[in-house]
Amino acid sequence: MNLDTTYLTELLLNGLMVGLLYALVAAGLALVFGVLHIINFAHGELMMIGGFVMALVLPALGLSYWPSLAVAALATALAGVVLYELFLSRLGPREFERSILVTLGISMVLLYGAQYWFSATPRIVDTQYGFEGLEIGDIRMTWTRVIGGGVAVLAFGGLYATLRWTQFGRAMRAIAQNREAAAMVGIPQHRVARHAVALAAGLCGLAGGALAPIQLVQPAMGQAVIFKAFALVVIGGLGNIPGAVFAAIALGMIESWVGGFFDIVWQETSVFLIMIVAVILRPDGLFQRGGLRVG
Amino acid sequence: MTVALAIEALTAGYGETPIVRDFSTSLARGSITTLIGGNGAGKSTLLRAVYGTIRWFAGRILWQGEEIHALAPTERLRRGIAFVPQGRCNFPAMSVAENLKLGCYTLPSRLHAARVERVCALFPVLRAKWTLAAGNLSGGEQQLLETAMVLVTEPQLLLLDEPSLGLSPKTQAEVFAAVRAIAATGVTVLVVEQNVHGALLISDTAIVMELGRKFMEGPAAQVRGDARIREAYLGGNIKETT
Repeated sequence: MNLDTTYLTELLLNGLMVGLLYALVAAGLALVFGVLHIINFAHGELMMIGGFVMALVLPALGLSYWPSLAVAALATALAGVVLYELFLSRLGPREFERSILVTLGISMVLLYGAQYWFSATPRIVDTQYGFEGLEIGDIRMTWTRVIGGGVAVLAFGGLYATLRWTQFGRAMRAIAQNREAAAMVGIPQHRVARHAVALAAGLCGLAGGALAPIQLVQPAMGQAVIFKAFALVVIGGLGNIPGAVFAAIALGMIESWVGGFFDIVWQETSVFLIMIVAVILRPDGLFQRGGLRVG
Repeated sequence: MTVALAIEALTAGYGETPIVRDFSTSLARGSITTLIGGNGAGKSTLLRAVYGTIRWFAGRILWQGEEIHALAPTERLRRGIAFVPQGRCNFPAMSVAENLKLGCYTLPSRLHAARVERVCALFPVLRAKWTLAAGNLSGGEQQLLETAMVLVTEPQLLLLDEPSLGLSPKTQAEVFAAVRAIAATGVTVLVVEQNVHGALLISDTAIVMELGRKFMEGPAAQVRGDARIREAYLGGNIKETT
């Protein structure tokens, strides 16, 4: 095994990029949990929808990356609104078991629906950037990876600013912290919840769209991420968005390093082993729990 | 007297269970009315029914002549009805400033600063604790904050559920004084209080509830003098010194 710095740096950057995209999914999951008190197990399929929209729209738009990514994010946000209006709005905040069954069921329907329409064969997604990349010294990263990481960072900036400084963001935190007080100040809870799901789904669409040219697009791509994202939300302290983001980036790094030095089976195994240890040692997560904290 | 709120044969409750049954009354504009009754008599349920956070089964609620019982709480708040629920009803992880900003949720943003300024003049302690998380304030300060959070909307009907619960006698007196001052500006107040004696002293009218129904209604002084009420809710022989 050759431990040169180039390889290590590439692993680090790679891990950072994947972690940032996981974090988009996890942040959305934490957001939905905070506002609706529902763990949305169909969240990974929203990411899959983003990936497929990217894969289908790119050829139609002459491989141009940015418009396709925008379409993927918007289409997924719209799918989120449909998901909310048809299903999530019918679940009360204390109906935890029902919410698990409903969202897990939706996840399966979407997964097998995608397999039926698009087949399970993974698709390679080409963009205007092809395999060109950024080279600094010996270190090389494809543009799609650089952009994927950059998009995630920008999305977090936007999410943070929304939660922190807009009345809509405050309303989401308000509902997460105290429903009765939210009713007292006249926050329309259904409307805010619908917007929160749309926002979370949009983040998923962004992640799926950005991942499409980096990994292969396939119906099961959401399944691979959702349980990790769920674990991240728990480890981050349920409803704590910075906690989930921090945990996600750490996870991406760990995965990348383990995958870089050991057999690929250890990559997934190590991740879940670390999660089990973390949850056993710190039952409430590594960070302060709850209330959609932002800083 | 100008009727501000009229409740006609109201039945309301949770899920499939009515708690308040066949309840009628009317409140005069600018008056203070105290609801008295034991645990489970339906006092809090009645307040929630007027604000709209529980299920309405039958009857009518008229606010300034308009039927409101089918409206969502947000819509009632926009029409000037505000409700401060019992106990710690704020956003504990947010600062006092953010809590007040959320109080302004139903107002156009150009009004926010002026309205917050006005309640801070009423409760200066809030300005002193401006950046503190609401959860770190004392019980009394939290109660003031919650009242301030609805007062920014300048409501015309104030529904208060146990505003003095858990407060020191001195703070209780301050809360009662504040309620009186608010009513003096023409705001109609309907209050549920565990401190029945203190509440009756500032009230115009008292309504006694038992098992979800109205048992007695009359001028506060008269209800205070009623032997049955003194026995059941005022601990028999209350000294008339307060």
